[in-house]
Amino acid sequence: MVASNLRDKYCIVGVGETEYSRGSGRTTRALGAEAIRNAMNDAGLKPQDIDGMLSYHGGDSTPSTAIQYDLGLRPNFYMDCSGGGSSTEALVGLAMGAIEAGMADTVAIFRSMNGYSQIRIGGTGVRAAAPISGPDLMKRPYGLISAVQNFAFTFTRHMMEYGVTSEDLAHIKVAHSNHASNNPKALMKQRVSVEDVLNSRWIIRPCAHLLDCCLETDNATCVIVTSAERARDLKQKPVYIMGVQGRGTKPGGDFHYQHGPITRVAGHYIAPRVFDLAGVTHDDVDVTGCYDAFTYTVLLQFEDYGWCEKGEGKDYVRSGTINLGGRRPNNTSGGHLCEGYTHGMNMVIENVRQLRGTVDDYCPLAAEGIHTHDYSEGHCRQVRDAEISMNMGWGTPAVGSSLIMRR
Amino acid sequence: MPTYEYRGQLISISDADSEYKGYFEAASAHRLVVKKCSDCGLLRGEPGPGCPWCTSLAWEWQEVSGKGIIYSYQIVAHTVIPSFRDWAPFPIVLVELDEQRGQPDPGDGLRITANLVDADMEPEREENVAIGKRVEVVFFDGEDGFSLPQFRLTGEVPENEVWTHQA
Ligand SMILES: [Zn+2]
Repeated sequence: MVASNLRDKYCIVGVGETEYSRGSGRTTRALGAEAIRNAMNDAGLKPQDIDGMLSYHGGDSTPSTAIQYDLGLRPNFYMDCSGGGSSTEALVGLAMGAIEAGMADTVAIFRSMNGYSQIRIGGTGVRAAAPISGPDLMKRPYGLISAVQNFAFTFTRHMMEYGVTSEDLAHIKVAHSNHASNNPKALMKQRVSVEDVLNSRWIIRPCAHLLDCCLETDNATCVIVTSAERARDLKQKPVYIMGVQGRGTKPGGDFHYQHGPITRVAGHYIAPRVFDLAGVTHDDVDVTGCYDAFTYTVLLQFEDYGWCEKGEGKDYVRSGTINLGGRRPNNTSGGHLCEGYTHGMNMVIENVRQLRGTVDDYCPLAAEGIHTHDYSEGHCRQVRDAEISMNMGWGTPAVGSSLIMRR
Repeated sequence: MPTYEYRGQLISISDADSEYKGYFEAASAHRLVVKKCSDCGLLRGEPGPGCPWCTSLAWEWQEVSGKGIIYSYQIVAHTVIPSFRDWAPFPIVLVELDEQRGQPDPGDGLRITANLVDADMEPEREENVAIGKRVEVVFFDGEDGFSLPQFRLTGEVPENEVWTHQA
């Protein structure tokens, strides 16, 4: 393995978010400003310290150049990129590149959306009302529009090839809901059982019940990237970026289903590269953040990132490994399935807090890093001695990103 | 720019749409077409401008038999499109055409999305949907000359064992 010469040279020094809600009653501009401000305060950075901004959006956010006014920032560099899931990790890499190129010193990356009350991710409202043209001509006339529908041919085919059942998938939701029960911020804190998932109404057969789907959410999120050198003077323990890849693709891109195997996802191509850059192996990783737009996206990524053999994801998610108290807990905040849908950034924020040892659970002294490690409902969600984390972002079966960090 | 209405949705096919206009013009004449590379001769299931195997930008439309198998499917129990609610639950299938199956790479195929419909152009019953079943193209003729390729079961004996999620 050859680790990158940029390994550990950059850090995430601040994280912040708004409330996760279904009806923010505010603009994406107001949400974005609050999330960035929270991350600045978390890091102990002043407006003049932030000279780079990056965001991603799907025509549903507010540009950096508006929010810069609201916080008195003057970026030497900004980009508002088109993107959704798996953009967070990719933009962390782009922030490193911008700093390395001398374009900026400290970059705030944000995502802001009213994903429930305005432009819904699920395909209803504005998205469904637009006239059909271009590649959508091959899908929307058939009633295929939502994200889960766009992925469903991959999911169903995977069920056929590897014998995955709805019950297997339900274990992912159960694990994430247990984690969310120890997260005061989570939109859905209630623990659910396998039966609850199986008894929830069908969205798409055979691969998605309602509780296999994430929660459309109004929120903004932010992470701040700067050099390790600058990080030393800031408020928080720096979290070092060991390796990052994004957004990597599989053959065919948007038309990946023309090539086989359609059950393979982009992580297959990303995994060897990100582990090489970070100079670590699977065994070194203590906590994961695996994009859970749907339970199935988690299972597919676990397989193709090599946490288990292809086809054994169904056993991996039942083994206890991904639960708090297990060998390598996944989505300890509850992720998109329970904390709220953010297009991936909340899982990076959560892992930053895990590595700091200051996850904001119900432990009275959590902010000081004192945790009970009692993972029963309403208590702790801090992973014991978490040293290295890995995020696996998902855009589509054909698009993904990954980020390995250490404390 | 021709605009059509189909199941309450507006469909807009630009005269400059070099990918899909010819596809739907052929459908109006009840022909299912794919693009054929004029240089290497390979067909492609997505009618893009370039050949994924040789980068040639020269192509012609090629009529195909319209026969194939269900490669994957989804039963839409809950639709977010209001005008499809009276259809739910309805099947959407990914059809793999007989032409060029497993070529040039073993996992490749010409794959097209459609609804699986019955003799009345209504959604096929869920219990009849299975991966591996034989299908053939049929054309739904809407108003103003718009036609939509759909697929229906042929009843032919499948090559391999079929798979369905139902017990
Ligand atoms: Zn060619």
